[in-house]
Amino acid sequence: MTLDTFLIRPRLTDYHGISLAQEDADFAIPFFDEDIPLYVDPFLLWRSPSMQDNALHEMLMGAFNHLGKQAQNGGRDTAIDILVAASECDEVGLGSSAKRKGKRIGRDKAGDILDIFRRIPRYATHGLGHIEELQFFVEGISKDRISDFACSFLKSFLIDFTIDQCTRLGIPTRSYTIGNVWDVRGRQFASVKTSLPADPTDERPLLFVPKRWLRFVPWINYEDYFEKHCPQDDIAHSAEELTRVEVLNYNRDNYGVVAAYIESKERSFADAKNDPLFSQIPVRSARGKLAQIAKLPTGKTDGADLKYETAIGQLLPSLLYPSLDFAQAQARTDSGVSIRDLIFYNTQRAPFLREVHADYGSRQITFELKNVAELERSHVDQLNRYLADDLGKFGVFVTRHPPKKAINQRIIDLWSGQRKAIVTLTDVDLDQMVEVFDSKQRDPLDVITKKYAEFRRSCP
Amino acid sequence: MRDREELERFEKLMGQLRGLHDEISLLARKSSNDGLNAFKLRLINKVLATANAVLGASHRPFDDFDQFDPDDVPSTSDVTMVLAQYLEEAERYRANFVTEVYGNKWFYVIAGDITDIPAGAPRKVTRK
Repeated sequence: MTLDTFLIRPRLTDYHGISLAQEDADFAIPFFDEDIPLYVDPFLLWRSPSMQDNALHEMLMGAFNHLGKQAQNGGRDTAIDILVAASECDEVGLGSSAKRKGKRIGRDKAGDILDIFRRIPRYATHGLGHIEELQFFVEGISKDRISDFACSFLKSFLIDFTIDQCTRLGIPTRSYTIGNVWDVRGRQFASVKTSLPADPTDERPLLFVPKRWLRFVPWINYEDYFEKHCPQDDIAHSAEELTRVEVLNYNRDNYGVVAAYIESKERSFADAKNDPLFSQIPVRSARGKLAQIAKLPTGKTDGADLKYETAIGQLLPSLLYPSLDFAQAQARTDSGVSIRDLIFYNTQRAPFLREVHADYGSRQITFELKNVAELERSHVDQLNRYLADDLGKFGVFVTRHPPKKAINQRIIDLWSGQRKAIVTLTDVDLDQMVEVFDSKQRDPLDVITKKYAEFRRSCP
Repeated sequence: MRDREELERFEKLMGQLRGLHDEISLLARKSSNDGLNAFKLRLINKVLATANAVLGASHRPFDDFDQFDPDDVPSTSDVTMVLAQYLEEAERYRANFVTEVYGNKWFYVIAGDITDIPAGAPRKVTRK
């Protein structure tokens, strides 16, 4: 279904007209078209200084270990049903799926998970300390499943968290009956009726996840164990490559090795931090990109235009973060000409951005990239056509040299006639943006503010 | 200059202009295109406001420049250039109020009278 908006790659907040920078949000702002490529790492709850998070981790492990006991005490089928149900949590939309819809594990796999409570004496008596330990014993269980199990058992908390955030920000909600909500007293999944925000593309409910729980890879993970702690020589003496199945079999018989690994990870808990949703490129790399841009010829010689677009596409999102959240690099065609631009969400984080939102209705800001020797009338006309009501009437040209007088006049005429504002960033401005990005004396966004102030001064 | 108070004010201004010029020109040598943060700009603007008042219309370097606009993100080299102009004009202003007495000594002149306040020789005299 298509969205009732002209925003490019809208996020839930932008869709509802709420300007919020990801940096300022407590949760990962959901997209409609794809999942957030991060996972809930239960270890972050365990190591959190917050007692609430610690208690949630206790509850998660309590629920999971209960299933293990239940399986041993004759309730295997029920336990398998619950595990299968818990193996997907579509409402949170984390991971790498493009459709926000995952597949549950099969009953056999659920059986394999429950078998470790029988197979490993320590688990039979004490249960698991961390749900991530499953990765070391059961094939096919990795970060996505761990994350889904955690979200399913903590769904009740996530519902409260989501409602709280929606109330605070004014995100509309609607009534839903949510299935598979863990009932701590009844020790089973139940359905609850509640109000949650909806994904407008398919009307499915959305759950927010606290940013502080998210990592790209869990702190306790199989790859790390395999590389650094697993005694590979003891498992296979031949030169052939060690398979995961062999390692998992070894682990089952040598629980002590896994226990030592878990202990070492627990000891280094202070290093376990949540991963940011966007990482800026380092200053050194920004300078490298700038140098690369300065050396490029204008035009299309040797793919210079593509190289220019790629370098700017890497540079600007970092320079402008967190004032502007990067939405998408977009290719479009206008009058048969391919055009590349970068679209940012207007977070209204700075007074200048609030002004752009108020005066030009810009909920998103377009940066059009032009690796040309000089801007031409047709370029201004293209951007002008693009700055329609829905995208806002403020746009930015990123080009190599300052426009000529006639082009400047055309841009000013657009303001005079249609109140559209176009500012031009050149190599010199990019250089200053990188300078202040390095020195931290000013926000690189201030350079755009400056260009806008200069533009307004030249307007009648 | 009419009185000692005015002289005090002028000497303070000279010191501040020189200090700022030295500091910012160091930054400009390091990276000329870098911006100055709002805190530094506020202080520089304060000194420029005093300079405009003290120097008056006759000695202001530019008739259409008062202060830096923080929105303009002036670079370190912009600020150095302007401060250098103010320093030059302040020195030219000072030259009107110093005089040489016997023995190659220079003193300030206040309200037309030679005082006992020693002064440096004007730069236009010492410059080689």
